[in-house]
Formats: sequence, C-alpha cells, structure tokens
Amino acid sequence: MRRVGGVRTMPLRASWGRGVSLRYGDPQIALGIVFAVLAGLLAGAFVVIGVQAGSEVSEERVHRVGYWLRRRWLVLLVVVGVLVVGISLFDLPFASGGPDGRMVVKVVGGQFFWSLSPDRVPVGTRVRFDVTSIDVIHGFGLYDPRGHLVGSVQALPGYTNALDLTVSEAGVYRIRCLELCGVGHSSMQNTFTVTGR
Amino acid sequence: MAAVAVPAAGVLHPRAASFTVEARAVERRIGFLFAATGIVLIAVMGVLGLVMRLDQATVISISPAWFYRILTLHGAGMIVACVLAGMGGVWYVLHASVPLRVGWMLASYALILAGVVAVLVATLIGGFGAAYTFLPPLPFYPAGQWSMWAVAVFLVGYLLVGAGFMVFCIDVLERTTTRYGGLLRTLGWQYLRGREETAPPPQAIAATVVAIDGLLASVVGSTLLIGLLGHTYAGSAQVDVQVAINLDYFFMHSVANLTIYLAAAVIYVLVPRYAGRPYQTTKVFVAGWTGSLVFIATAYSHHLYMDFVQPAWADVVSETVSYAALIPVAVITIYSMTMLVWGSRYQWTLASTLLYIGFAGWAIGGTGAVIDSIIPFNFRLHNTAWVVAHFHTYLILCVVVWAAAFLAHLLERDAGRSSSRAGRAWTVALILVGGYGLTGTWFVEGILGVPRRYAIQPPGTSGYSLVGSCFGLVLAAGFLSLFVQLALLARDARRRRQSGPVQRQGPDESRHEPVALRVTNGPARVDLPWLGRRSVPLRTPGQLGFAAAACVVGLAAFFPEVVHASETGVRYTHLDNAGVFFFGAMLGLLVGSLPAVSGWLGDRPTLGMATVIAASTLMMLFMVPSIYQHFERHPLVYEYYLVHNAAFGLLAGLGATRLGLVAGRLMFVLSVGMPVMFAAAMK
Repeated sequence: MRRVGGVRTMPLRASWGRGVSLRYGDPQIALGIVFAVLAGLLAGAFVVIGVQAGSEVSEERVHRVGYWLRRRWLVLLVVVGVLVVGISLFDLPFASGGPDGRMVVKVVGGQFFWSLSPDRVPVGTRVRFDVTSIDVIHGFGLYDPRGHLVGSVQALPGYTNALDLTVSEAGVYRIRCLELCGVGHSSMQNTFTVTGR
Repeated sequence: MAAVAVPAAGVLHPRAASFTVEARAVERRIGFLFAATGIVLIAVMGVLGLVMRLDQATVISISPAWFYRILTLHGAGMIVACVLAGMGGVWYVLHASVPLRVGWMLASYALILAGVVAVLVATLIGGFGAAYTFLPPLPFYPAGQWSMWAVAVFLVGYLLVGAGFMVFCIDVLERTTTRYGGLLRTLGWQYLRGREETAPPPQAIAATVVAIDGLLASVVGSTLLIGLLGHTYAGSAQVDVQVAINLDYFFMHSVANLTIYLAAAVIYVLVPRYAGRPYQTTKVFVAGWTGSLVFIATAYSHHLYMDFVQPAWADVVSETVSYAALIPVAVITIYSMTMLVWGSRYQWTLASTLLYIGFAGWAIGGTGAVIDSIIPFNFRLHNTAWVVAHFHTYLILCVVVWAAAFLAHLLERDAGRSSSRAGRAWTVALILVGGYGLTGTWFVEGILGVPRRYAIQPPGTSGYSLVGSCFGLVLAAGFLSLFVQLALLARDARRRRQSGPVQRQGPDESRHEPVALRVTNGPARVDLPWLGRRSVPLRTPGQLGFAAAACVVGLAAFFPEVVHASETGVRYTHLDNAGVFFFGAMLGLLVGSLPAVSGWLGDRPTLGMATVIAASTLMMLFMVPSIYQHFERHPLVYEYYLVHNAAFGLLAGLGATRLGLVAGRLMFVLSVGMPVMFAAAMK
C-alpha cells in the first residue's frame, strides 16, 4: 500500500513499472471483489456437486432437494436483479438537457488524435464533454492522474455524445481511445489538465 | 495409455441404453465433419490468440498492422468455428426426432468454408484489420492498411458465412415446425398452456429457438453487409452510423451469443447419457426457452450503452433483458444439468468431464458478462480487458470445451473406450488452470481500466500480458493434450471399424430403418412420413383474402405521387423500393399459396430457400445508389426498375411458399424486412 496525494491506494500495479493505482473507494475494486466472491462460490458449488456426482442419490431425493432449492434460487436471482437494475437507474451516466452551467469541452476524435477545447480547467469544475468524431467511431476514455478509468463515452461521426463529469482531482488526465479505430488505435492519446485553484 | 483406458461398457451410463437413440452413420459423419472442422479452426485461431498475447507481453514483436489483421482473423475464425461445431452437434442430437437434410447441411458447410477462405484472403493478403465486428465506417477508413477489394472480399466472406448459417436455420425451423405441427407446438406453448400432454424434446425446442434468432441475426447482418458492399462498389452509399452499428451489433452479438445456445441444445442430449437420467421437457423449460428466444434477440443493445445518442429507454430495456437472460441459463439449463449429475454415479469419461467443466465456464463467464451489462458498471468497464475476460471465459471454458466434448463423445462411442484417467486428469487440469489463469489476468486488467484491442499495451501493464501469456501456454498444453487424447481415440475407432461392426450400447448404428426404443424425451426416429404434409404459409380463405388486401395496399408504392414524393431523399426512395418489393412478395405469397399453384410448384424446399435468399440479396444490391442511379435517367426505365423490384419480391414470396407454414411466413417477413432495414440505414 502507498499514498498518492494523501490518499491510500492499492499497489495493483505490482512491480512492473508505471502502471495504474486504484483507490479503495473506486467502483472497479468493489466490482472485482464481488466478481471474485461470486466466481469462487460458483466454482466451489461445482466442485462439491462434481465430487458427489460419483455417489448414488435416489431420484426422489434429487427432485425433492433440487426443486426446493431451485425455487429459492429463482427468487434470489429475481430479487437481486430487481435491486441491481433498480439501483443502477439512479446512477446512469447519460447527460440530458443543456449544459446547465457546466463548462463545455469540445472533444473531437480522428485517426489517430484527440482534440480538446479547452484542454485545461480548474479543479472542481463541472464539465460537459461534447464528444464527436470526424471519421470512424472512437471511444473517449478518461483516466484520472492516478491512471484510473473515470468513465468513457463513444465518439460517433455525425453525432455528438454529451458526458457530464466533475473533475475533482488536480493533475494531468489522460484520454485513451477505447474503440478500435485502425492501426494507430493504441497510440491515440491526449491529455487534459485539471489545474489547482 | 490404452491399457488403463475406460472399457467400452463404461463409456455411457448403464442406464443410458434405455433412452439413447443411436445415430445413423451419416448423422455421425456429418456431426464429426462439422465438429472436427470447428476444432481444427479453434486450434489455429487459438495459436493466433497466443501470438497476440505474447506480442502484448513484448515477448515477441509484430507490427500493429499485423496485430489487427490477426485480431480480425482470430475473432471471425473463432466465432465461425464455434458455430460450425454447434451446428454439427445440433444436427447430431436432432436426428432421433427431426433429421435434417444432408444436402442442405453440406451446402451450409461449403458456404461457410468459402466464407472462411474469403476472410483469410481479406485479412492475410488484403491486410483488412477492422476486427471481426467491422464497426462501420471503419472498413472505409483503412489508414493506408488495406484496399477496398479487401473490404469487399471480407464482406462477401461474411455474407457467405451468414448464408450458410441461414440455410441451416431454415432447415431446422422448417423441419421442426413441420414435425411438431406448427410453431406454437414446436416451442411447447400448447403444452405450457395445458392444451397438450406432451411437448417436443428439449433439443428440438432449443434448436428451434436458435434457428429463429439465427435467422433474424443472419438477415440483419446480410442487410448491413450488402449495404456496406454497395459502399465499397462506388463509395456512394452513405450509411447512417447510428443505425449501422445497431444492425452490426444485433448481428454480431446474436451470432456470438448463439454459439453457446447451439451448444446448450447438444448438452441436453449428451449429459443424460453419462448421468443415466433422461432429461425431459417441462413447463419451466418451455417458459425459460421462450424467454431466451426474446432475450437473445433484444440484449445486443448493451454494446451501445456508451453511445449516448441511443435512446436511454433502449439502454434500460437492454440492461433489464441482459440480466433476465441469466435466469433461464442459471435456473434451467445449468441448474437442471447439475441436478442430473448430482448423485447419479456419473460416468467420468473425457467427454463427460469436459461437459461438466463447461457448466462452470458458462456460469462464471456469464457472471462477468452480467456485471458488465449493468450500465453504471459498464461506464467503468466498457471496452476494457474485462470484456475480453468474460467472453473468453465462456467461449474457451464452455463453448470450445463443449465442442471438444461433442467430438470426444463421437470418438469414445466409436472407439468403445474413453481415454485414460491420468490423461483426462492432466488434460482437464491444464485447461482449467491455463484457461482461468488467462482470463483471470484480463479480469484484473479490466479492473485496472486497461483498454482492449491494443497492439501496444499502456506503459506498465505488459506484465499482466506476460502472466496471461504464461497461462495461455498452459492452456495450449491442455489443448495439445486434448488433441492427443482425441487422436488416440480416433485411431482406436478406426481400428475397431476395420476389425468388424461396431458393437455399442444400444442398437446397431448401421441400421437405417426406424428403431424401436423406449424414448422418454421424444418419439423414436421415424423416416420422415410427415414431410409429405408440408403446409403453405396462407391456408385459409381469410388469410388469402387478407394477403390480397395487403397487395392492394402495396400498390400505393407505384403511385406516381408517392414515387415523386419519395425522391426527396435516399432513405425515402429506398422505403418506396421496399414498398414495391413488399407488394411483389405479398403477391408471390398469395399466388404460391393457392392450392392449384402450390400443387403445380410442387414440393421444392431447396429451390424455395435458394430463391428467397437470392431474390432478397439481389433486390438490395439493386438498391445501392450507384446502381439504381442508372435507372433514374429516364422515367420509362425507372418504371422498369420498379417492376423489376416487384419481380424480385414476387420470386421471394413464391420461394417462401415452398418453405412451409412457419419457415415460409418468417422468411417472407424477413425478406421484406431487409429492404426496409436497408432504407433505414441509409442517409
């Protein structure tokens, strides 16, 4: 564990050089843990059932236990689904309406560059990124100064996608292309500076 | 190795003989042909995948241009390989109740292989590298890497693959619905509503669902591919990117998704053979597959979450559907199969072990997919390595493993033995460790926000690729071991065939007449007496009258005022052309369904199928602006153009009547849908 800008971060970048660091509060950490736990539980269940597959259990017992459990399994999945999908509706990233006092940053993607105007805002600014493309589809991926992916939006030719964010950390943000756009895809980068007040 | 192999009597569960219907030689051969071709393609594409991972790890160095060529080939090849293996499996498991046509299956095989050759040429020689998803308009912005001929060859290759899959789907749909008396019965809805005592066997219901969604995907894909092909012809077809990527993802997501559902249809038959417990259709099963029918066709939109132009309601529906798609899988297919296995004295052979580990691959990979399908999570994971991780988990550790299991099942049956316990253990251990290790590194990279499809990894992250490559090598060793086991089984099977008739559990497979067996999940094989009773799409006077009225309405597309009004834009012109095509197709359906005409046309499903596909395809090619503009030079010539489009429709409608009630109606709707979608994709 180490500290970046006074914040505890996980040493996920391990020992191979300049990588990324995640903060404990980053949503990706929670997702990773949830997935690891679920995958572990599933793997465990398959091991247990696989071990017991060699034994003889009467069909009557298989049906009794199996159907009893299946009803609860179904209810559990439905309840989890309703909760997860329901809660997700309160955190949709889609911008709607006008900029509403936000600073508008025009973002144009092209093979293989990002153009941002302006490319520098003060920390804490509520920003609206108006993202489009002049040629093919690109993916506007915004990485904060720690290298953590804040979020992304597609850049489509002929359309403008609006992404609302509040940049709360000062430093140099990196923009990477997240949609395959041709031979220079992995080098399609630019920076976006958030200055201290 | 052979000395400690499982003896012949132990290949299947002793109880399996009571409900296992043997395949005929032709059914096993076709199944083997498709599965073996699929496995060989998977092996080659797997090596290409490893090459890319080693390049990302900077162990070897290939240029970005070659990286993306290989990426394109790897993705397209893997999907096609899994589809091929799944088709072979479905062919094999359907045989007991619904034999498919050999000719159609071989035609499908030839079309798909021709498509594979075209994709090979486009990528390796033409340098095409827009990934297997070919997101428009990327194919037309090559950045100096490929020529338009390579794009055209790639698109034609995909069209051929799509046509091959379409032939298979029409065959399945036409056969199952004719066999079980209509779509409602085939999907088990009459049984679900309590109107019938029995329902078709699980594999027939699953195959029908796959066929319907497969047809939808193929038709949507073909529409887009032909539109893009027109663009390569003269660059004059201006495609609306937003509509085009909807069509693209509908096509690619559905086909990729269907690989696993094809495999699911197969395991309903194979797993019971090792568990000694028959698997029967229940009402819950029918309800679940009805759900899957809808979910497979509607979940694709989750690929477009980060395209905020897409209506938010579509994203929320897609999110709900994507989660809902998990329920039939988790509650019915995987759960029921583990119920069959639990306490069954499961026969652990190479095939049955691979079948079992496939459940875990689907469940774990599917969990990763569901997490990615929740919009706020997708915002943070979109197009990162997480996506690569989840789909490789269920493709490698479920679909590919099940394809190998199907091949192993055929070979074990022929060889009369399974591979040795040690051989199986090593094979499975290497596949599990290598497979989950490989995908595990992608999951970690996804959490870290490492983008996918990078020829050059972001600084500091190539170490993950190195670890992934090491696991990839372990996985490759596992598959190498698997191929050795399969080769040994194939050798023994050949020796056994050469030494005399193969003795199996159950009846002799060489019998071609119907076999009298107790079949608990469907009727015993019958030699197609039901095929002579093929129905036509319009059966009653009311339906014929409705079609006649629709024809009259369709005539509006010819009115000079309507034609003139449609000339305000490309999209409207195409909508009018689609209307003309609709008129012709409806007229064809009406005329071809008349008893006298139908009798005169005769029972020609192959000709009907070829006509529907060819007429719809040609119609859309003639809608390419650079082609139809030649017809706009003189009003009289343009009138001819309209009549000619109506003639294509007429042929499509007549062809559809040769495909029976359900397949005929569906193909009619889809063939009309193609020019309508084509019009929508234009701007």
